Amino acid sequence: MTFMLAGFRPWLVQRVTATYMLVLALVVPVFFWLDPRHSYADWKAWVANPLISLAIFTFFAALLSHMWVGLRDVLLDYARPAGLCRFLLGMLGAGLLGIAMWVCWILVRLHT
Amino acid sequence: MKFSILRYDSERDDKPYMRDYEIEIIPTDHMLLDVLLRLKKMDPTLTLRKSCREGVCGSDAMNINGRNGLACITRVSGLKEPVTLRPLPGFPIIRDLVVDMTNFFKQYHSVSPYLINPEPPPEKERLQSPAERDKLNGSYECILCACCSSQCPSYWWNPEKFVGPAGLIQAYRFIVDSRDTATHARLDDLTGPYRLFRCRTIMNCAEVCPKGLEPVHAIEMIRQKMLGNDETGGLEMHRPVPLK
Repeated sequence: MTFMLAGFRPWLVQRVTATYMLVLALVVPVFFWLDPRHSYADWKAWVANPLISLAIFTFFAALLSHMWVGLRDVLLDYARPAGLCRFLLGMLGAGLLGIAMWVCWILVRLHT
Repeated sequence: MKFSILRYDSERDDKPYMRDYEIEIIPTDHMLLDVLLRLKKMDPTLTLRKSCREGVCGSDAMNINGRNGLACITRVSGLKEPVTLRPLPGFPIIRDLVVDMTNFFKQYHSVSPYLINPEPPPEKERLQSPAERDKLNGSYECILCACCSSQCPSYWWNPEKFVGPAGLIQAYRFIVDSRDTATHARLDDLTGPYRLFRCRTIMNCAEVCPKGLEPVHAIEMIRQKMLGNDETGGLEMHRPVPLK
């Protein structure tokens, strides 16, 4: 919990994840422009590639971490009293963790 | 010239109110403080702080037409009428334009704004190279007028926990001082979620600083120091933005 509520490391996480997402957001459209996918089967095969699955998982991990830091900062600033802030932080953490597990489940299902 | 000034006497008034004044400008009225002192002669109950009258002490910081500044270095000729004067926003009002700066100075003292060096002092003085001395530029000039902290929304929300731009530029001044040996302790003290990292880079602090300093830049340099980047140095300064 100390790590989750610290100042420097979340700040660093936000910048690293933003950089990763920006690179992916620039590279992926170029990739599809050069090698377009036309059918569901094509898409499924592409996502099932272990490297692509890893890149997608990392993208969502980065997105959810980035969201955690940003929304955590909003709650730390505006949610009062401290009890309500802790409750909302807990709800936020649970929600983001749920989304992360959903992404994992989708990706694992492709490989089984 | 027309003025609208916030008045509040905690012993008499339930809440602050705006009072209108009209005064004829005379040739000796160069700065806003000159006019305010003549207004005070007309109405001795009007309360404000002032001391040096030349932008060095920072006593007469106030909110002038919506932006913080020093009355003594604000040209009266450039101000839009009616000139609206309020005390520094976000600070408890003691009376009229005088605010309680206890929390502001508590945050300032919390960064240990003095040289920490347990080694015995040399016979004459602790020397610095010109390059080391240059690193203090842009931070040592702060006069603690509180214009920056009082215009910072992050400081409004968390005045007890966020050090604020004025305290953080002072922290940076000692972090980069080659004679100080407590750099790591100073950085550790600022790593929590509130003391430094409440800064959202809104940049009001740099916008309103009457000395043209950039506390937001100092905050960024402290973050760079935390990353291990020792290439930090003197801060840029800018020409103060004139109040209108």
